[in-house]
Amino acid sequence: MSSLHSGDLEEFVPTSQIELSRFITENAIATQKQIFPAGGRTSLSVCCPASLSGTQICTSQLNKVIDYPVRDMTITVEAGMRIDQLNEIISAEGQRLPIDVPQSNRATLGGVIATNTSGPKRFSYGTIRDYVIGISAIDGKGNLFKSGGRVVKNVAGYDLKKMLVGSLGTLAVISQVSLNLRPKPESMCMVWFAFDSYVNVEQALNAMITSGTRPTAVEYCNSKAARQIAAESRLDLPSEHNVICISYEGPSNVVKWQANHIIEEWNEFSPLSSQIIESDHATRLYNVFTEYQTSSDDPVTLKAVVLPSQMMKFVESATQLNIAIQAHAADGIVFGHLPDSASSLEDVKQILSQLKKSIDHKTGYLTVYQCESEWSELLPLFCSPPPGWSLMKQLKNALDPDQLLNSKRFTELVET
Amino acid sequence: MVEQTNQLMNQAPASLEELESGSASFSALVQQLTLIVGEAGILFDADELLVYECDGYIVDKTAPDIVVFPTTTAQISTIVKLCNQFNVPFLARGAGTSLSGGCLPIGGGVMIVLTKMKNILEINLRDRYAVVEPGMVNLHLTNALKGTGYHYAPDPSSQGACTIGGNIATNSGGPHTLKYGVTTNHLLGLEAVLPDGSIIELGGPTAEVPGYDLHGLYVGNEGTFGICTKAIVRLTRDPESHRTMLAIFQTIAEATRAISEIIAAGIIPSALEMMDQGIIQAVEEAFHFGFPLDAGAVLLIEVDGLEIALDEEVRQILEICNSCNVRDIQRADTPEERLLIWKSRKQAFGAIGRLSPSYCTQDGVVPRTRLPEILEFIEETSNRYGLRIVNVFHAGDGNVHPILLFDERDKEQIQKVMEASEAILEKCLELGGSVTGEHGIGVEKINFMSRIFNQIDLATMETVRHIFNPRQICSRDKVLPNHQTDGSSKITQSHPTRRAPH
Ligand SMILES: Cc1cc2nc3c(=O)[nH]c(=O)nc-3n(C[C@H](O)[C@H](O)[C@H](O)COP(=O)(O)OP(=O)(O)OC[C@H]3O[C@@H](n4cnc5c(N)ncnc54)[C@H](O)[C@@H]3O)c2cc1C
Repeated sequence: MSSLHSGDLEEFVPTSQIELSRFITENAIATQKQIFPAGGRTSLSVCCPASLSGTQICTSQLNKVIDYPVRDMTITVEAGMRIDQLNEIISAEGQRLPIDVPQSNRATLGGVIATNTSGPKRFSYGTIRDYVIGISAIDGKGNLFKSGGRVVKNVAGYDLKKMLVGSLGTLAVISQVSLNLRPKPESMCMVWFAFDSYVNVEQALNAMITSGTRPTAVEYCNSKAARQIAAESRLDLPSEHNVICISYEGPSNVVKWQANHIIEEWNEFSPLSSQIIESDHATRLYNVFTEYQTSSDDPVTLKAVVLPSQMMKFVESATQLNIAIQAHAADGIVFGHLPDSASSLEDVKQILSQLKKSIDHKTGYLTVYQCESEWSELLPLFCSPPPGWSLMKQLKNALDPDQLLNSKRFTELVET
Repeated sequence: MVEQTNQLMNQAPASLEELESGSASFSALVQQLTLIVGEAGILFDADELLVYECDGYIVDKTAPDIVVFPTTTAQISTIVKLCNQFNVPFLARGAGTSLSGGCLPIGGGVMIVLTKMKNILEINLRDRYAVVEPGMVNLHLTNALKGTGYHYAPDPSSQGACTIGGNIATNSGGPHTLKYGVTTNHLLGLEAVLPDGSIIELGGPTAEVPGYDLHGLYVGNEGTFGICTKAIVRLTRDPESHRTMLAIFQTIAEATRAISEIIAAGIIPSALEMMDQGIIQAVEEAFHFGFPLDAGAVLLIEVDGLEIALDEEVRQILEICNSCNVRDIQRADTPEERLLIWKSRKQAFGAIGRLSPSYCTQDGVVPRTRLPEILEFIEETSNRYGLRIVNVFHAGDGNVHPILLFDERDKEQIQKVMEASEAILEKCLELGGSVTGEHGIGVEKINFMSRIFNQIDLATMETVRHIFNPRQICSRDKVLPNHQTDGSSKITQSHPTRRAPH
């Protein structure tokens, strides 16, 4: 155990769940300081207010493998394990957790769950909620509780694992996780299409629902994002227009067949060009797509969740505001990097309110995904209350009755 | 470890009224409920209520006092508010196929049966979701989607009868769970009437919603978080093709090794079902498929996906099976042959009916690689108790369903079935597994909860239930073993008798 001080923010680095549980218990009984769980610190700009005062729990030493029965394809690890470290361990056995995590050299498993991080592959593999089969966490009183177990199928007791997904450190500190793993695919390729009109993009995306191929990811980007993605991947890709980039995974002959097949299928939507990207280049490009949602040094990154059929309408409005857009198009998940010209908080608020107009409030959500840390307290995370908000508040009060877990952020989550 | 228990754990449940047929409050409640659902939507005659005294788990029985069949969310909300006003318990029932007593109306009260709310409200292929009412029969949704290229993936073996609302409450799985996941992986959102009568929406048709995953938390609540009145489910693309095989092994250990190797080779079959020698013999006696009677295990293996990918997968599977000393492999090359192979699996239960007057299907889970140990233990248990136990189950998930054969007229055998079941489930836990993979805790396995979870785990679950269902007026005394019943319960323990298989 070690405690470091930096201003009025202390750091606590537990080396075991028990130690962490004891610390939080004592905090609840005695000092009642605010507690900020921190993993790889990749999302803290929005998850924690800038003017932190209290104790930051650094989970970096909670990084042990508890159990890895390789042939059962499950693993139990402590929640502070970095995603790269996890990937290295399971990759050696030909396995993987099929969740795309940006900055995976820093991001931790607990952080991925707390922020519900996902990427392009979510279209075919789902999100972290689909892979967590057991969890241990510590609530605001210091109670270390668990849910689920270590087997892939289990319905004993309430599914407390789920409520921690997306909980942003406000409900409990996630300390240990059991995961269901998948085999690594043999190969991957991507197909990069350029389109000059939104109408063609929409038609192509619409045709995807009955395509003879089974993509693992369907990414859209507008030209501003396409230029950055092409440059970052160091590949010569046409990026002056709208881009849809599709990925396929599996045995190489099957992957190749699908890449050629989609080009044939999409001929009728008059793409300006189409290009198959294979092997190392495909991996590199894919990684850029994974990283892009957090890679920007723009002042604010937005995330919108809309129905796929309504996505292009939102994209059009955002593009007009000079926002660089990447979207997991088949899922209606849109990331938008605001232009540098949005230099004041007023500008940002203005853009947010304009964008809100192009979202159907019954089925769409706009959230602030990353921002300059000095703005984080002034911008709501969620631009409207999510469904079940009143129950979320009750859960928060029940698991953290003294409002000690990242609580300021919780009350600021929703724009009032 | 911080030993701290939640105070809620020690509280007695809110004392709820027991309705007495013919009493003034009974008549008043019946009258008001009739105003809501009409005379055709209510039952309160003792004879008519008998059907509702148990579900697929018939060890415990108790009838509700009143059964109502609402047709709208608003009606349910009003019914629930009335129950609160009269302080009587209520609970939801779908098709009543639960195998753990989820529909047991402990303390009587009002049973809200959802089978009249069975409409599809929306199918949206572009956005890959459907909105359905909770009483919709699982298979009817799949049928309605035929020809669209999409289906609803969770397919419990009871899918011809069970409802989507029941599936959500129990987080149902099915033979295709290994590849496609269980109900929770396919539920996007829902509407529910909370136990105080308020109406909430959780999740939605979008791929995700911000904040805590509350619709995920709702799934698997076994009817204790209010009444689900609408479900938004994800639709899954149909596979282009299938390949189905039957692999016959000398021993269970070899069959299990083949399962692990197939998955390790990067192939996730859409189904991996195992039948052991006992069930092979039963099937053979009944239907003459030509299985060798001395075979230790038969695996039904199905892969699906793009046509172009399947032959290679089959080639690899055959190679793996060969390396695991497979005795024989039958391949279905035509749709007719595929049907025949599935018939042998599906008729397994018909065959059991010929073996024994009664049977009890258990539900336990072990890590996949521990299958040989649990199956060996089941065999030992069978010998120890002098009970015949056969196995047909979802091997890919490690989800065993030992079927205990007995004669319900013999009290001693009934006791043995109970004890043997308990021993097998204990062993599942010892091997790192669970006492239920898909049938739920209900009332059946409530005593196991404190063996799986410690006081803090249970207290946290209790805290969460308290938010949804603070007075336990909705489906009381299920899932969590917290309270001593207050003597008002009218359950009569009878026998484990025939529990529907799957
Ligand atoms: C032959 C057979 C095969 C089976 N095979 C499988 C299988 O392969 N996989 C599997 O997982 N299960 C299986 N089961 C178990 C059972 O079918 C499932 O649990 C199913 O989901 C129950 O659905 P139901 O509509 O019958 O629900 P019910 O039995 O009516 O209710 C089950 C529980 O859900 C609650 N409930 C029902 N509707 C609602 C609602 N609208 N809102 C809130 N709570 C509600 C009830 O209160 C109860 O607690 C099988 C059962 C049988 C008899």
